Amino acid sequence: MVTVNTQQTEFEQEIARLLVSSLNLAIDPNTIDPQAPLFREGLGLDSIDMLEIALAMSQHFGIQLRSDDPDNATIFASLRALAGVVVSRRI
Amino acid sequence: MARAWFEKRERGSAWLLARARVLALWMGRTPALGFLWLVTVYFYAFSRDGRAGIRAYYEHLLGRAPGARRIFHHYFRFAQTILDRAYLLARHKDAPRLLIRGFDAIYPSLVEGGGAILLGAHLGSFEAARAAAFEHPELKIQVLMDAEISRKLNNAMSVLCPGMHESVVSLGSPAALLRVKETLAQGGLVGMMGDRVRPDELTYRQDFLGDEALFPLGPLRLAAALRVPVFFFASTYRTAVDGSATYEVVFELLCGPAPGIDGRTQWLQELGRRYVAALESHCRIVPDNWFNFYDFWHPQIGQPLVVDWSAQPARRGSGASVDRAYPVEDLKSHDEP
Repeated sequence: MVTVNTQQTEFEQEIARLLVSSLNLAIDPNTIDPQAPLFREGLGLDSIDMLEIALAMSQHFGIQLRSDDPDNATIFASLRALAGVVVSRRI
Repeated sequence: MARAWFEKRERGSAWLLARARVLALWMGRTPALGFLWLVTVYFYAFSRDGRAGIRAYYEHLLGRAPGARRIFHHYFRFAQTILDRAYLLARHKDAPRLLIRGFDAIYPSLVEGGGAILLGAHLGSFEAARAAAFEHPELKIQVLMDAEISRKLNNAMSVLCPGMHESVVSLGSPAALLRVKETLAQGGLVGMMGDRVRPDELTYRQDFLGDEALFPLGPLRLAAALRVPVFFFASTYRTAVDGSATYEVVFELLCGPAPGIDGRTQWLQELGRRYVAALESHCRIVPDNWFNFYDFWHPQIGQPLVVDWSAQPARRGSGASVDRAYPVEDLKSHDEP
């Protein structure tokens, strides 16, 4: 059971719901710690899950993630980081 | 003591291989095949686990134990496909003929864009397919491989064909997978192997040649995430009726693009079924092209993680380990092979 250390912003809630639905996670989106890692520990996602997330971001927000994007290491670092990227790049 | 396939090192040094390649190109294919018998004796003699693995394979295929001659011939065929790489990639006059079957099935994916996944196996010679790809430089082809193998392959390939190494991508990082997506978007093809399992990777069970075997789920999940059609792919050797050496590159459609999360598990199960069925049918046609030199039904990988299709998704976000995207069978609930 994840203890929420910081509150999710509204937008982070939206991203969290998108994560849960596109990956069919059996968790309540509101319990995702926005600063916890998405990869491996924390949410326990792998690189194929990242691909699904990238696709979902593309479909919902029109954002394209490229393989040579210098932000790639940080985009998937946490829910907060992901939400931040979406906000800055959404069309 | 038997060792897992991923721990086996390539026999012989790179230096020796390089010298042998130069010699083979100089003397021509027929004389080189003569020498290949000696090389085969060496491989055959020092490969007890490999022989046992091939024996198990033929027992499943024939329904009885194979003779030593058949197993020896199998080793010879393997050595010969390695030899043929040199001729194919150097575009030597002795290079075997290349035939392509099923190109019309794959053509729309290339031309209309979107690309396709080629799901192959250790059947026949992938290099023959690469050589075929050389004839069509407009085909953008990427190969997804284990990082260690791709490093070795890159070293070998850069000697023979400078620039080819860029098309081999290592598995694992999100950036690598995004690169795969970009290749596909340009109408390219992405190849991966669907027949070998690694420890700590999700696997699925499927009947293969009469007995249950394990296959890796990763490539199927990746194909689903990429939302492109998946083709069975093999490039296998046979001697034509006139005695000429021929590699046939085959593309067979397995599944159209995966749906979203609804119906995902059904798509994965169906893809697994069709892939293994295609693999089986090709083994029956060109049995000596099977190059998994270990007991395929009892791979030495410790406790495998086998997906349990009937279970509900596990609770996530509670320290779940990597690759538990799907619930796995309880280790005690199924008789392990």
